[in-house]
Amino acid sequence: MTYKLNRRRFLAGTSAAVGAAAFLPMKIANAASGDLSVWKFGGTTAEVEEWAKRNETFNAEQPDINLNYSYFNGQIRRQKLLAGFQTNRMADVVIAFGQDIPEFAGFGMIQPLDDIAGDRVAGWKDRIVPEVLASGMHDGKLYGLPTYVDMASFLAINVDMMEEAGFDRPPRTWSEVREYAKAMTKPDRPGIAFPATTAPVDINIFQGIAYANGGRVFDEESGKVTLNDAGMVDALQLYVDLIADGSTPQATSLTETFFRDTAQLFAQGRSAMWIGLSWLNTPWGTPEDLNWTGAPFPRPDTPSGAFPPVAAIMDPTAILMVSARAKNPEAAVEYIDFWSQNEQLKIWGGNPEIARIPAGKAAWGEPGLAEAWPNWVDSYNEGTLFEGAEPMPRFIGVSAVESALGTAIQEAVLGQKTPQEAMDDATKAAQAQIDLLRG
Amino acid sequence: MNTSSDRWLAYFMILPVVAAVLAFVIGPTWDVATLSLTQVVMGQERGFGTLNNFRALAADPMFALVLKNTAIWILGGTILCVMTGLAVGTFLAIDSKMTTGLRALILLPWVLPDVVTAMAWKWMLHGQVGVIGSTLQSAGLTEQQISFLGDPDLVMWTLVVVLIWRKMPLVALILCAAIRSVPNEQIEASRMDGANAFERFRFVVIPNIAFSLTAVTVISMIWITAEFALPWIMTGGGPANTSQIMSTYIYQQSFEFFSWGVASAMSVVNLVMLMVIVALYLYVNRKSWATGAAS
Repeated sequence: MTYKLNRRRFLAGTSAAVGAAAFLPMKIANAASGDLSVWKFGGTTAEVEEWAKRNETFNAEQPDINLNYSYFNGQIRRQKLLAGFQTNRMADVVIAFGQDIPEFAGFGMIQPLDDIAGDRVAGWKDRIVPEVLASGMHDGKLYGLPTYVDMASFLAINVDMMEEAGFDRPPRTWSEVREYAKAMTKPDRPGIAFPATTAPVDINIFQGIAYANGGRVFDEESGKVTLNDAGMVDALQLYVDLIADGSTPQATSLTETFFRDTAQLFAQGRSAMWIGLSWLNTPWGTPEDLNWTGAPFPRPDTPSGAFPPVAAIMDPTAILMVSARAKNPEAAVEYIDFWSQNEQLKIWGGNPEIARIPAGKAAWGEPGLAEAWPNWVDSYNEGTLFEGAEPMPRFIGVSAVESALGTAIQEAVLGQKTPQEAMDDATKAAQAQIDLLRG
Repeated sequence: MNTSSDRWLAYFMILPVVAAVLAFVIGPTWDVATLSLTQVVMGQERGFGTLNNFRALAADPMFALVLKNTAIWILGGTILCVMTGLAVGTFLAIDSKMTTGLRALILLPWVLPDVVTAMAWKWMLHGQVGVIGSTLQSAGLTEQQISFLGDPDLVMWTLVVVLIWRKMPLVALILCAAIRSVPNEQIEASRMDGANAFERFRFVVIPNIAFSLTAVTVISMIWITAEFALPWIMTGGGPANTSQIMSTYIYQQSFEFFSWGVASAMSVVNLVMLMVIVALYLYVNRKSWATGAAS
């Protein structure tokens, strides 16, 4: 075969080569440039303010990236993200909850960071506490970069009221918590309060208690909902017992008061103890004269669940993920890498944000954290902080199961059903939803 | 300009409205209707032409409770809203300095954003710190503070009361305007014929405002059916689903459970139900409707 080179072909060929040579380096140079949209969901006031400030630093460091950042309430994240995904207008980077990862990944809404971040991942592994980084993993791939985790469940105690009732340390077992609550109850002030609305956090608080009793909401291996396992039912019985003891506010009021309001009522001295997540009262502050302390929620006297009891369950509630339809993945990776740096992760080192368990290794050396949470820092340094901790429930259909669990908690708290009946019905309802969702 | 060109001009003038209705009403409705007949698995559409979503709905033990709560919400809400609106509208129709001021003031609940209304009422009705419960208790009317939104027996009707507080003002103003337009001669004539106040209201005022009354009832019913923010913020469907209504359950199915097919099926059921109720109502009141429309 012969090939004739004429002038026209020569000109076209050389023009193309010159053009490619001229534009290719420019394209590489501009890899992390252009528009980048970021949606952040939830967070305390201190965190939200600091996040916006750090974004200004990012803008200064990356002048070629046009950051378009929006903040939304954490409760509407699913609605916003689903609507964005369906209409093809989802942000490049979303900062949501770790519990969302399996569903978002399963529906093709987010993409693995390993596929787009290349050698940046090694740096993240260096800077992030391994147990916390693992909370961004799903099916062996890293889907999100966590900035901190929340753990369940914890107990806030008014020290003055505890001492007045004749105790000198927080309760350690379920029997003790009932005894303490009873002793600390006064006619105008319950000994203990717990939130029992259907808000996801309220359900997470209960799950922390039940998982420590060997309960689980779902068995991934069999695909079966396990809400009616003894570990879950007995944890719900504890709630019912506390009400029956007369140690709580009216049952009807528990079902209308979610975690933040319960914390505020505790801060106002309207209850002697309250059950919450690891942050307890820190995001909202308490009066200066309120003498209070936090402790892990007491353990069951004898765990009754079919699964191994956990020390705590945890979830990263500000984890950076990249949309599967990100228009600018290079800039998205640049943004995530920015948030993986020690300077940013130190936000959760006790100054200005003291409510969370930091993801950054460097944050654990911050004096503010040691001052706010000395026990956490000691446990971290001893390597026991995450010992026996497991992720909060996360699987496709988790929302349906947690919703059914929320209903069961309310039915038992209100005395409409026994814990066993409520959990049996919830298991059936949740299984139907799971089967429908998974086809 | 001849008749034919007049007609074309008229068509041209209404074209934007027709296009908007097609784009924003018919389009989404069609989309929801087709989605209700589509199997959705893991967020992916898998096959059209199935009744599985409607079967799942029929098998859902929650759906009967949702229907019952929705009936209380829509029918209870509409009837009480219109009745209260009629009473308040009648009062506002009286000429006095006080009613002139009240006519402007009464719109306040209506102009407040849903979120503000819901949060304010939520705290006023709270079982531990709510001002309403503590007032009742300190007045000796209740032994302990009532938790209006946490009590399964009270929550649905409490929501209806808040709904009426919010929606009634506009109904009252519309009916007030209608009552004030009733010819004075007719009222005077009936008075001279010996009709008492109730008879004048029943046999003179009501027939004169029948068209407005029908219209405002239908509009209220549609408003109340579409209301989502108020019940969702105040109770989230709780406690134990006792205040779960169609709009909140559709939201939960769509955005919490990802069951878009079932949520669409529920929307179709909701639409059909509303159309049947409105059609029945219009049929029963066809005389006043037709007369009013003609006039």
